[in-house]
Amino acid sequence: MVDRVSALAGHKGSGHQGDPGNTGVILREPPDLVLHQVAAWQDSIDAVGKSLAKLIGAKSVAGPCGSVSGSKGAMLRIEPMKWWLVGVAAPEFDAEQAVTLDLSHSRTRVCVSGDDAAAFLTRHFPLDLREASFPAGSVASSATHHVGVTLWRSEDGYELFIPRGFSLSLWEGFVESAQQFGVEIA
Amino acid sequence: MSAQRLQSGGRIDRQQRIEFNWDGRSLRGYAGDSLASALLASNETVLGRSFKYHRPRGIMSAGVEESGAMVTIGRGARRDPNVKATMQELYQGLHASGQNAWPNVRYDVGAVNSLFGRFFAAGFYYKTFMGLPPFEWGSKGTGLWMKYEKIIRKAAGMGAASREPDPDVYDHAHGFCDVLVVGSGPAGLQAALTAAKAGMEVWLVEQDCLLGGDLLNLADEKTEKKRLELIAELEQAGVRMMTRTTAFGLYDNGIAGLLERVTDHLAAAPAHLPRQRFWTLRARHTIVASGAMERGMAFGNNDRPGIMNVAAGRTYLNRYAVRAGQQVVVATNNDSAYDSAADLAAAGAKVCLLDARTRIGSNMLDIAGAANISLHTGSVPLNARGLPAVNGIDVAAAAGDGWAFESRLNCDLLLVSGGWSPVVHLMSHRGVKPVWDAEQACFIAPPIEEPIHVAGSAAGIWNTDACFDSGKSVGARVVKALGGKARARAMPEVGGWANPIRPVYEVRVDGRKTKAIVDPQHDVTADDVRLAHREGFVSVEHLKRYTTLGMATDGGKVGNIIGLALMAEAIGTEIPNVGTTTFRPPYTPVAIGALKGRNVDEHFRPLRRTPMHDWNLQQGATMTMAGLWHRPWYFARSGETINEAYVRETETTRATVGLCDVTSLGKIAIQGPDATELLNRVYTNPFAKLPIGKARYGIMLRDDGMVMDDGTTWRLSETDYFMTTTTAHAAKVMVWLEELLQTRWQDLRVHVTSVSEQWAGSAVAGPKAREVLSACVEDADVMSSDNFPFMGVIETTLKGGIPCRIARISFSGELAYEAYVPSDYAPAMMDLLWPEAQKHDGCLYGLEALGAMRIEKGHVTGAELDGRVSIDDAGLGKMANPDKLFIGKAMRNRPELLREDRPRLVGIKPVDTGQTFNAGSILCASNKVSGLGEGWITAVTHSPAMGHWIGIGFIAGGHQAWEGKTLVAADPVRKGNINVEIISPHMYDPSGEKMYG
Repeated sequence: MVDRVSALAGHKGSGHQGDPGNTGVILREPPDLVLHQVAAWQDSIDAVGKSLAKLIGAKSVAGPCGSVSGSKGAMLRIEPMKWWLVGVAAPEFDAEQAVTLDLSHSRTRVCVSGDDAAAFLTRHFPLDLREASFPAGSVASSATHHVGVTLWRSEDGYELFIPRGFSLSLWEGFVESAQQFGVEIA
Repeated sequence: MSAQRLQSGGRIDRQQRIEFNWDGRSLRGYAGDSLASALLASNETVLGRSFKYHRPRGIMSAGVEESGAMVTIGRGARRDPNVKATMQELYQGLHASGQNAWPNVRYDVGAVNSLFGRFFAAGFYYKTFMGLPPFEWGSKGTGLWMKYEKIIRKAAGMGAASREPDPDVYDHAHGFCDVLVVGSGPAGLQAALTAAKAGMEVWLVEQDCLLGGDLLNLADEKTEKKRLELIAELEQAGVRMMTRTTAFGLYDNGIAGLLERVTDHLAAAPAHLPRQRFWTLRARHTIVASGAMERGMAFGNNDRPGIMNVAAGRTYLNRYAVRAGQQVVVATNNDSAYDSAADLAAAGAKVCLLDARTRIGSNMLDIAGAANISLHTGSVPLNARGLPAVNGIDVAAAAGDGWAFESRLNCDLLLVSGGWSPVVHLMSHRGVKPVWDAEQACFIAPPIEEPIHVAGSAAGIWNTDACFDSGKSVGARVVKALGGKARARAMPEVGGWANPIRPVYEVRVDGRKTKAIVDPQHDVTADDVRLAHREGFVSVEHLKRYTTLGMATDGGKVGNIIGLALMAEAIGTEIPNVGTTTFRPPYTPVAIGALKGRNVDEHFRPLRRTPMHDWNLQQGATMTMAGLWHRPWYFARSGETINEAYVRETETTRATVGLCDVTSLGKIAIQGPDATELLNRVYTNPFAKLPIGKARYGIMLRDDGMVMDDGTTWRLSETDYFMTTTTAHAAKVMVWLEELLQTRWQDLRVHVTSVSEQWAGSAVAGPKAREVLSACVEDADVMSSDNFPFMGVIETTLKGGIPCRIARISFSGELAYEAYVPSDYAPAMMDLLWPEAQKHDGCLYGLEALGAMRIEKGHVTGAELDGRVSIDDAGLGKMANPDKLFIGKAMRNRPELLREDRPRLVGIKPVDTGQTFNAGSILCASNKVSGLGEGWITAVTHSPAMGHWIGIGFIAGGHQAWEGKTLVAADPVRKGNINVEIISPHMYDPSGEKMYG
């Protein structure tokens, strides 16, 4: 099998940029995203949710605007009737129960961490990222520069799922604006 | 004017000397100075020239309302005009210069305008539109205006912006909080603390570089101690305190626009910091503690350098340690000036106080007496004397209801207080009409239903202690509204002066002609207001537009109240009957750069790259924009022009094989048990019986019967489809399908998902296309003609294990396929396809060749499907199935859409095949080349197949109506008229033999 080529390949830059006295933001692209969508129906949503939770090794089902992580992956409730599975492929479902879609190549995953990660993200997203409003596990569909982006607060920081074609353009903007905090490109 | 820097006091750091440049001369100030205070201390008197009359202007205030000391900061690309010197912090190396003057503000040739002042009165500019009498009387019109407009514009004005690109970076940011407090005077500090102590998340924004508002201008230690204690408490309570930040506007749902000046005060700004930051703050409650502004009075030459408001005199004295004059006249009509006069006297100035009131209480007399101030009651300034700066005044004394000349006084500084105007701008932004309080002679914002509250002098509360109390009261009210606990406190009464104000807006004496300025920024005089009234402009809105009162960069902060008062007097009514001015955002000017943020240059729009972007560039692609997409335009070989390249690419593709990046086509996954039903409803042609493994071309209409989009849809399984759309309409179709499913057809179990980004596609077109693909798939048998007929779809694997879906469809008119792989494998796919294509002397082709081939075939795209076209107009009426329902079916049969003479899709060729014509040309009958013509041309190309220029477009009645006739392709602003013929749009291989072959 040939290697995958990321949308950011060769353009990410590296090292520390911006404020020489600080590294408030760390930008990273976890490689080889595995992202599958599972979309259920009104009468099957509960059963599908439970089977997905079992698949990823979690005890509960991710509710609206939330996520649940398990030993094998994470499930993000990105729409009322849709989940995204991160890190694990979708199982087979009868179409009467759910339909699935491999979206692994459709998004570029960017992980934003560091002490100023939330402050940095407010430079781009009109989201209330204060702890009480957006605790770990939260998921939001948002937009920056008119591009729809899904935001997930995982254990590693804030993860952005950016439409692949726009990702380099947004990445360039991120690196530039993160310089005010001091940014490390990992 | 003989200003002097004091040896002690103030908030300047005398250990830090700062050198700066004013109009080419090096001057010195201290850290903590504003540009205005440093210029004042350097005895720079004339700092500007007025808009129309080029009158000399000096410092008039110490705040954002400054209308005299407006200067240009910086040089070259960083030249920033119309900066108020009062708001510019001094820094080492600051470069400031005067504006609207030649050779400089001190000796300005333009001052000659003053001699012709009577010709430049209100409405002067508008009157010039009527022509120059007597030369343009009658029917001659205003031809000369076009000439003298340039002279007028050059003579009038303020500073000039740099014409170079802005080199600075501006940031955008979003914020959220419980309580926004605007202004950090006593009310703001106290309100913020009250809310924060109750556990609220509070943002306190202050336009100044220091917190404290008017507290910064008081000299007593007790006040300073309290200010510092409050700030310390605010820090402890976790209040976010943002200095150098202006809340410039309040908007719906608690949104405030903030402008944070990040580096404007720095001599050398770090490269990683933006110059300014534009905040969109969403607050649950907003407390407006924006203070009040001191008004002047209209009297003769009231704009002379050396005349400023009383509070400014105190600010320069106590904050900047600059005594602005030695022989000072303080003119007031209210109590607030007395303390300031006393401070100046204590600092060694000889102070004479004119109070317009004839009777004042003992408390004021005591202040004046204790400070050894010469007090004249019932007196006002009538006219300022001296040029360029004030050296004395004529004093008028109360005489009945008016004034009479009394005496002359020498002075080098005249401080004026005509009352105070609460800063109600932010409330005005919310549509609140301020209410006139005749007792306090000011407008006050009434209560509002939104969670916005006013505290302190912004609410018309004058005394400092009462302002503290109002902050507590409003803070507690907000805390309770947010569900917190706070002890309710009574709101102090409006007002607070011991002696009532005597409204004085203008001082004039019959028989003495003076020029009294109402709006200094636009040189609007008291006579201008009266002239406007005489000419019939009586409403405040008309007054504003006719005289330009309040239209300059201060937005009416200085002149509006006096202007209203003068109009009220002229009409013979009260101020509130004239109307109120609606203040609109921004409160103070906001740079365009700050509004735009980082969305400039290459990030003006997000660039959308295909997964083959780098690969295409490596092959020598010249790129072009297709919407937001960057797509290969053509692949020029050495020395080739674009025309040579696309013709070669077209010929090569038709002769052997060509590869083209088609990733930008919209792709939508349609999934679910009812997916077929959805497609059957949105497409005009039937989809119910489309077999698995086949694709079908479909047209979808809008509700109104017009064509929305076309594309092919591939059936992958019983419940799974892969729809392609045009590049231009991808998002629109996706949104349309979502809307249908979520609003009209909630019963359909279908999910639609954009997979445009998941799949990268390449067209493989030309007689050798099958050979190329056969060599790249792991199982070549799948490519055989029997296994893979026209409109067939296969899911297979390319060499290297790359999953791939291929459909045999053709946009070029050749035997052709579209092959899609998951995007990260796109370069790998091209590395397989391209060597195979090269073996057949194939080529890579771009958008230009793609366009040429589709025009030859008469295939429509977004250029044709522009929203005005019915399915019949596009020549695709047969695809509308009469036996099923689909969106747009009813409306497409409207009589208007069935008219035979509607514009129909046609091909176009030049009569002289050596000629060319442009897309956008209007098709006209040869005997009537005028108006909207008979049709239009949407796309053109050189057709290698036909050997001459061709186009497609629309013409009334279509091909049959114009067959054999010569028309004119009219292109009046570019190419002129070209004779053309109308031909069938299917110009290449009309039977489709090559495509099906």
